Amino acid sequence: MTKPKISTDWMAGCSGCHMSLLDIDERLLEIAELTDIRATPITDLKEPDESGVDVGILEGGINNSSNEEVAHRMRSRCKILVAFGDCAVFGGVPALRNMCGTEEALKRAYVEAESNDDQGFIPSDPELAVMSDVRALHEVVPVDLHVPGCPPDPDVIYYVLKELAEGRMPEIKDEKLHWH
Amino acid sequence: MVNLTINGKQIEVTEGTTVLNAARQNGIKIPTLCDHPHLTPYGGCRLCMVEIKGMRVPMAACTMPASNGMIVETDTPALKKSRNVVLSLLFSERNHFCPFCQVSGGDCELQNTAYDEEMTHWPMQPQWTNFPVDTSHPYFILDNNRCILCRRCIRACAEMSGNFTLGVEERGAATIVVADTNVPLGQSTCVSCGSCVQVCPTGALIDRQSAYLGHEKNLTVTRSICRGCSLGCGILVHTRDNHIVKITGDYENENAGTLCKTGRFLALNEQRTRLTTPLKRVAGQLTATSWDDALATLAEKFSASKDKVAAVASTRLSVEALSTFKSLFADGLQAKQVTSVEEGRPTALQSMVADQLGEAIEGKLDTLRTADCVLLVGVDLTTTHEVAGFYIKRNLPKGTRLIIIDPNENGMDGLANINLKPRAGTDVAVFSAIEAVIVKEGLARGAVDENIVSLKSALAVCELNVQDVTDAARMLAEAVAPIIVYGKGLTASGNPGAMEALVRLANVIGASDSERKGLLSVKGESNSLAAALLGLVDQLEVKDEAVYVAVGDDFVSKRLASKLEKVPYLVVQASYESALTERADIVLPVNIWAEESGYVLNAEGRLQFASAAVTAPEGIRSNVDVLKDVARKLGVTVNDDWRAALTKRTSVVELEM
Repeated sequence: MTKPKISTDWMAGCSGCHMSLLDIDERLLEIAELTDIRATPITDLKEPDESGVDVGILEGGINNSSNEEVAHRMRSRCKILVAFGDCAVFGGVPALRNMCGTEEALKRAYVEAESNDDQGFIPSDPELAVMSDVRALHEVVPVDLHVPGCPPDPDVIYYVLKELAEGRMPEIKDEKLHWH
Repeated sequence: MVNLTINGKQIEVTEGTTVLNAARQNGIKIPTLCDHPHLTPYGGCRLCMVEIKGMRVPMAACTMPASNGMIVETDTPALKKSRNVVLSLLFSERNHFCPFCQVSGGDCELQNTAYDEEMTHWPMQPQWTNFPVDTSHPYFILDNNRCILCRRCIRACAEMSGNFTLGVEERGAATIVVADTNVPLGQSTCVSCGSCVQVCPTGALIDRQSAYLGHEKNLTVTRSICRGCSLGCGILVHTRDNHIVKITGDYENENAGTLCKTGRFLALNEQRTRLTTPLKRVAGQLTATSWDDALATLAEKFSASKDKVAAVASTRLSVEALSTFKSLFADGLQAKQVTSVEEGRPTALQSMVADQLGEAIEGKLDTLRTADCVLLVGVDLTTTHEVAGFYIKRNLPKGTRLIIIDPNENGMDGLANINLKPRAGTDVAVFSAIEAVIVKEGLARGAVDENIVSLKSALAVCELNVQDVTDAARMLAEAVAPIIVYGKGLTASGNPGAMEALVRLANVIGASDSERKGLLSVKGESNSLAAALLGLVDQLEVKDEAVYVAVGDDFVSKRLASKLEKVPYLVVQASYESALTERADIVLPVNIWAEESGYVLNAEGRLQFASAAVTAPEGIRSNVDVLKDVARKLGVTVNDDWRAALTKRTSVVELEM
């Protein structure tokens, strides 16, 4: 049997979930042994193989057109898509801004922020991604597995990776189920 | 009894039990959010839906009474799916994002229920509407964004404190919890009892004092008794690292979880400066000294002027401390004056009548539960003994009548069916006038006194309107279970005639007879009754005595401070700095309520043990220990048998100890 290919990426998150992934410590070696780790934000390869991977893992919510592209690309190239962490599962902390609206949030950050001089403006370069409300991953593409947590506990991450590596679908419940 | 089957298990419950409670009693868990064991079932959250054989659709277990032969299923795949949908709807309705919520991580019933249902996410996203957050209240915050509209807070406000401040405004998804007619909580009719915070299943009602100081799992809970007044409500003291984080009502005690702001919030809002070491006046200045030196100095002074000693104790002290105090100063030292800070004002009068009659004249607090007419005399239960006021207020919508006799403005005036505002000090005339009407109209139930004064002359004295008095008299006479609650406004007058007239009135209206004792006084502080039984009831009159004041953690009244302003020698046993300690010659630092265990005898004669929840800072001693230390230095042997000391005279109410 060939090793299952795993690819990860991050979107509107804080990268904390990936830090928690690194927190599984020496068990990383075991996962690296069991799987073929492909593109991740913390390895050299940046995009999942066009030929496809078995497991795609996405951290963060979707708050602009760039994230949307990442989500669609991962979905189209993986068999099992994992929403990794509270932002991917619910929208998380970035989604707080939905309460006031993206416009208002941008204004507060770029124009009204205490650290700005009075020349502040909202960037509008056409090269930039187009901002949107923050959405959970499942609002944009179908998700196969939700692993909540802010960030998910390293033990839970290890369990999830191990199960997926060995071809089983993880069951997130009881002491493994925490939203933060 | 009713027999039913839940999940294949044969169950027997008493008639009237709901399916939810039947399941609970038999260890079957049915998830619910709006239901609370101490509130009326509401049937709002739809999480407790169960399948009952023969019923067309699932039914809410919390409102469904169990009946014979019922076959109930609580965990079918269809029900699980329905719960999942209900929870998804609840989560998506508002801001239920856990990572930034105070109760997340164990204390949120919504989150815990979702965990139990193995929800890794919710499929519907919120509508991102901003709901108001009310931060106007000094003790808690109402965040409607976290609210699931279970209405527990609203029911607690009505059913526990009888205050009816909380309600809802708007309809459907726009519904929000509001105070009164949507005014800020801090400016509303809220009485800060905090029952709403105690029952809230989510983070919608946040207690400012305990927020972010730890989850329930981090806290140690000590079951104890509130020392705020003589009602002696049960409390749970939640502590962490020797700090009190919060106080909640004990559902297992008579108060069934209800507290007032004094018990729940004020006890943790202490602004006074703590005394940490014994002090002695040296060259006009209070100077820190050792316990040995402080005790030796005061002993020398008291031994030298034995015939000129007066002693005063706070009625907040434990029964043991009060008894030791009495034994030391009255029996041992034979001091000229031995009394309490209350000087018997809330207790002496009724105790005297009980002594004369040789039997208890008062009843128990639970008579308030079934009373259909309450006569409130000379006490404002919105400023003292608030929980007794709650017991009355919560029954008013059920038709319980309220009559108030109070020359002063009373916080419950607006709730009364009849308000009698007589001329101050004319209690005898008021009671006689009511009695005269009852006798004249032939409504009397008990024995009638033939020598009754005429209605006209009584009214002339108390300056009340004949119609009001007649209405009140009829209302009292017609009541099936009337009860008279009275307080310091009556007893502090020191007029035995007033008390006798009240006892007579209680007999005439049938409040008190051989079966029932529908007369009760709220008394004063925590151990008011114990102080009365120990005879610490005399008026304090001091001139040139050396005075020992055992204040404990009590507040010092202006009245006491001014009485002791000019005494030649003053020893103060206290936890906090006050006007008294400022002018004291010796100050002995003692524990506060939460630092020492001890008995309290509440207004209805129920003896309860209040357990210490935290330990005192080093160098501070317990009230009993300090009194014993003083006794030792003075060569006095104190009697430890406080139970015997309490039963030496007739109690105004039957003791349960």
